[in-house]
Amino acid sequence: MRIIDVHTHPIFLGQGRKESEIRRLVAHGRSHGVERMVALGDVLNYGARPDEAQLVAINNETGHLQQLHPDYFIGFCYLNPLLGETAVRREVERCVTQFGSKGIKLEIANNASAACMGAVMKAAREFGLVVLQHTWSSTNFPASMKDHSDPDDTAQLARRHPDVNIIMAHLVGVGFRGVLAAKGLPNLFVDTSGAFPEDGLVAYAVEHLGEDRVLYGTDLPIRESSVKIGAVLDAKISARAKQKIFFDNTARLLNLT
Amino acid sequence: MLIDTNVNLGSWPFNLTPARTAAQLAKHLAASGIERALVSHFDTAFQPDPMPANRTLLAAVKRTPALRPVPVINLRLANWAEQLAECVAAKVSAVKLLPNFHNYTLRAPAVRLFMDALSATPLRLILNIRFEDERHRYFAFNVQGVPMADVKAFLKKFPQHHVLLTGIYRPEIKDLAKTRKNFSADLAYCEWRDTVKDLLTALPASRLMLGTCTPMLATRGQVDKLRLASIPAKSKALIASGNAVKFFRL
Repeated sequence: MRIIDVHTHPIFLGQGRKESEIRRLVAHGRSHGVERMVALGDVLNYGARPDEAQLVAINNETGHLQQLHPDYFIGFCYLNPLLGETAVRREVERCVTQFGSKGIKLEIANNASAACMGAVMKAAREFGLVVLQHTWSSTNFPASMKDHSDPDDTAQLARRHPDVNIIMAHLVGVGFRGVLAAKGLPNLFVDTSGAFPEDGLVAYAVEHLGEDRVLYGTDLPIRESSVKIGAVLDAKISARAKQKIFFDNTARLLNLT
Repeated sequence: MLIDTNVNLGSWPFNLTPARTAAQLAKHLAASGIERALVSHFDTAFQPDPMPANRTLLAAVKRTPALRPVPVINLRLANWAEQLAECVAAKVSAVKLLPNFHNYTLRAPAVRLFMDALSATPLRLILNIRFEDERHRYFAFNVQGVPMADVKAFLKKFPQHHVLLTGIYRPEIKDLAKTRKNFSADLAYCEWRDTVKDLLTALPASRLMLGTCTPMLATRGQVDKLRLASIPAKSKALIASGNAVKFFRL
């Protein structure tokens, strides 16, 4: 079984920067059959809203990973949309030209339904990038967490920008409601990353979204490859659907050869 | 051999977990290599008296030797001693407490009386911390995990009892392990890159047991967490079954 992990943080809260640690992570991935990892950056190291210099530092670390293991890591450019259109475009252009970034990563600087997302989607369109949006069901969140995107917010983003492919992160975090929110939006994909492997969710996602819109992801190092792989293998779906989730869908989405 | 210490029969009302018969559950577990499992019944968490569901469990697993019943005692009810006596008579290996579902705390007076009574039986005790990640609970259902401060005080108050904690988070285990030695923990709600290896930095292999929280969580991934862990084979064997055999006298 060929596997691409579309959701990892090789460097997390400042840990994992040493080359020996990076080599260990690659070996860990390969020992589980993971051929490639999408590195999304150390997104919480400077809090929810990093400034321009902090973003550059985070994205340079991702670029360094790609340079060390170009056949393994695929980089996404981490952004803070609140910094405005000029800063957003400048950082996207830098990440694409210097490191060959394949996508944009968004966390919790702002809600996915906010107006500032227009500049991000414009840059994604211009550079042909996929947007991966952290998403979690806000049902049990306090009002102070309004900048966390609910599946309804990410679905709204996808509806507003049908020409940009968006990955709604964290299948278990968005839950059954999140799967249904993504239904009927062909530019919206869901990754399996994050949270404990609630039984039945992968099959439910395939039932409602089809086997082409579910992507394998973990959220390493917070999560465990074996657990996430097992959750897909355990799902009551076809072998062909599993292969698509593990590899084909992400390879196609990111134009990987 | 794999022994799963955290399995339930029945359905969880707030998700789409499949309702399996005992035979179907045993077959499902066997597909992931689990040969034996300690099983309770979800209905004991929700019904006003746990004993009907306990009896359903005992009857259901009678012809399924792979499943070992673990009845639940509700210490908030006046007849908890009767419940315990019925469990002893049923010759089970262990009983389980769900304080957060049964509206009492581990500091309640009944807990001391129960622990004294338990000492006079051959039964082992499982304390279930949670069934689900609280972030994903049904919006109208506000049961939180058993508070760790209470668990810490409980373990301190009853040092002669060794308790299995199921559904406990990895950071909670690590914190608890700093001061208490009279507990073991299952793996169901622990996750990090190379989870088991990480946990072994906080407590010895002799105090960890396989637990999948089937049917809430996907069984195979939970088993692979241990099967593929980069730890010595001897430690893996203890966690997979050795500790459970010894603790539950299986």
